[in-house]
Amino acid sequence: MYEPKRLHPISAVINFIKGLKDAILPLVAIVFLNSNRGEGWLGLLPFLFSGLLLLIILAGGIIKWLRFTYWVEEGELRIEHGLFVKKKRYIPIDRIQSLDFSEGIFHRPFQLVKVTVETAGSSDAMEAEAELTAIRKEEAKQLERFIEEVKRGRQQDVELEDDQPKRQLVYKMSMKEIVIMALTSGGAGVVISGVLVFLSQGMEFLPVDVIYDEVIDWLQFGFLIIASLIMLVLLIAYGISVLLTVLRYSQFSVFHDSGDIIMTRGLLEKKQVTVPLNRIQGIRIDENLIREPLGFATVTIISAGGSLKGDSDQSLRVLPLIKRTEIDRVLRRILDDYQLDLPVKRPPKRSLIRYLLRLVWLPAAASTAASILFYPLGLLSLLVLPVFGWLGYLSFKHAGWNVENYQLTLIRRFFVKQTYIMKKFRIQSMHKDQSVFQKRAQLGSIGATLKSGIGGESARVWYLEEEDTHKLLDWYRHET
Amino acid sequence: MNEPTQRISTRALTLWRLYGIIQASIIALLTIGTGIFTYLFNWPLWPLLSISTILVLVITLYIFVVPSVRWKRWRYEVRDQEIELQYGLFIITRTLVPMVRVQHVDTEQGPLLRKYGLATISISTAATTHKVPALDEREAEELRHSISSLARVAEDDV
Repeated sequence: MYEPKRLHPISAVINFIKGLKDAILPLVAIVFLNSNRGEGWLGLLPFLFSGLLLLIILAGGIIKWLRFTYWVEEGELRIEHGLFVKKKRYIPIDRIQSLDFSEGIFHRPFQLVKVTVETAGSSDAMEAEAELTAIRKEEAKQLERFIEEVKRGRQQDVELEDDQPKRQLVYKMSMKEIVIMALTSGGAGVVISGVLVFLSQGMEFLPVDVIYDEVIDWLQFGFLIIASLIMLVLLIAYGISVLLTVLRYSQFSVFHDSGDIIMTRGLLEKKQVTVPLNRIQGIRIDENLIREPLGFATVTIISAGGSLKGDSDQSLRVLPLIKRTEIDRVLRRILDDYQLDLPVKRPPKRSLIRYLLRLVWLPAAASTAASILFYPLGLLSLLVLPVFGWLGYLSFKHAGWNVENYQLTLIRRFFVKQTYIMKKFRIQSMHKDQSVFQKRAQLGSIGATLKSGIGGESARVWYLEEEDTHKLLDWYRHET
Repeated sequence: MNEPTQRISTRALTLWRLYGIIQASIIALLTIGTGIFTYLFNWPLWPLLSISTILVLVITLYIFVVPSVRWKRWRYEVRDQEIELQYGLFIITRTLVPMVRVQHVDTEQGPLLRKYGLATISISTAATTHKVPALDEREAEELRHSISSLARVAEDDV
C-alpha cells in the first residue's frame, strides 16, 4: 500500500474499450463514407487509416495503464499518471468521503473492482474525481479500512485485521418489488429515445436509395403494418428496459457500517455506494402518477458532496421502490431520526383556483392555438385541459407542511408528489415569495434549499396562508 | 413580521435607469432601421408598428417604472445570527440566510458600478448564492467584513 503500485493489467483492456467506444462513430464514418471511392491501394486507405486509429487507441490504453501509479503516503492517497505531462493528484485521506465500488463484466472473472474516490464537496469540479479503473478486491477493501482507520485517528497496522466486514444488513429489496419497479419505470423512454437516436444516426451510413425503394413498397402495405411495426419496436424496447432495470437492481441491499450507509446492487455489474450518515442533508419521498395508485413510492437520500456523475441521484435511492405504508418501518432501521407521516397543514381553500390556473394556463394557451390553427381537428386538444385541471386539483390536495421540533416537512406535487423531510440545521436558506395578487389574498409560497451533491436542491410549497409562511420563517430564524 | 430595515443606495436608481436607457437606445436603433427599410422597400407597416410599441414599453418600463419599484422593494438586514433580504418587482421574495450557513462573501464591481461608487455583494452558502446589488462601495466593504467575521463566529457543521 505504501509503494507505488500499478492497476491490474485488465485496466489496459478497459481503457482500450473505453477509447474504442468514443472512437466508434468516426471509425464507422471513415469506413462507410469512403467505401465507394478510390481504386487499388487508395481504396484501402480508409481501412489502413482505421487500423492505425485502432492501434493508437490500443497503445493509448496500454500506456495509460503503464503510467498510472497509486499509493498511500503521509496520510494521502497519491495518484500519478500521464505520458508527456505527469499529473499528480494527492488526496488527503481525511478529505475522502467514501470509496464507491463497481464491478463490470471485465472485473468479475478476476475478482477486481473499479474504485471511485468521493471527496467531500470539493469546490473544484474536476478535483472531485479520482478513479482506480481496476484493482484487486482485497486491495480495495484494505484501502477502505485504512482510510477508516486514519479517519478515526489511530493508525495501526490495518493489514493484520480480519477480513470479515462488520456490516449489518438493514434492508433488502424483494424480487417482486424490483420487477414492479422495472415495469413502472420511465427507463423505457430512455431506451426508446436511444433506439431513435441510433436509427437516425445509422441512416446516414446506410445506402439510402436502396432502402428508399423498399420503403415505398412498404408504404403500399399500408399504414397499419408500419404502425404495428413501431408498436413492436416500442414493446421490445420496453422489454429490454425492464430486463436491464431488473439486472441493475437485483439484490439491492442496504447495510449499516460504522456511521456509513452502504448500498449494493446489480447482477452482472455490481455497484456499491457509500454515504456517510453525517453527510445526509434530508430525504425525499417520490410518488409518481403510475406508482402512487398502486401504493408504491421511492425514497431518495439528499447528500452533500460526492461525485458529479450523472447518475448520482439514482444511486442515492435508498429505497428504490417500496410500499408507501412500509416506508416508516423500514426507514426507521436505516435512518432513525426522521419522522414520517406527521399531520400536515394544507393550503387554504382560496388557493385552489391558483393551483388550477398554475397547471392549466399553459396547456390552455397551447390548445387554443392548436384549435385555431388546425380547426376543427385541433379542438380535440381541448380534451387535455380536464387532465391538467385534475392535476392542479391533486397538487392542491397534496400540498402541505409540518414543523415538529427541528424537522421540517414540505409536500408538493406537479406530476410527482414529493415529500421533503429535513432538519433545521441542514437547511442552507429559506425564502418566502408572494406576488402582488397573493399579497391581497394573504397567500404566500415557501421554499427551503438543501445542499445536494455539489449544488443545491430546493423544496417549495405554493400558496400557503401568509401567516403560515411567517411561522415557517420564524421557525427557521435563530431563536433568541 | 417586520420588514428588513436597510435600503440600497439611491444611486442604484440612477444606474438602473442608465441600464434602461442603454436597452432602449438599442431598440431605438432597431426601430430606426425598420423605419428606413419600410420607407425604402415598401415593407408592410406592422413590423414598424410592433417594434415602436416595444420601444415605448421599454422606455416607460425599464427607464421609469421598474427601477423605482425595484429600488423601493429592495431591503436587507444583517443581524448577528442571520441575513434577511427582500426584493422583487411583481413577486416579492423574502430570503433568510443563517450566519452559520454562510461560506464566503464577495463584492464585485463592474465599470458602470465603479463610476457610480457602487458595488454588488454576494453571499454564498454551500448550496445557494444571494446578491445585494448596488450598495454604496464603502458600505459593501464594511458589510463584507462584518458578515465574514460574524460567519466565523457562528460555528456549525456542513
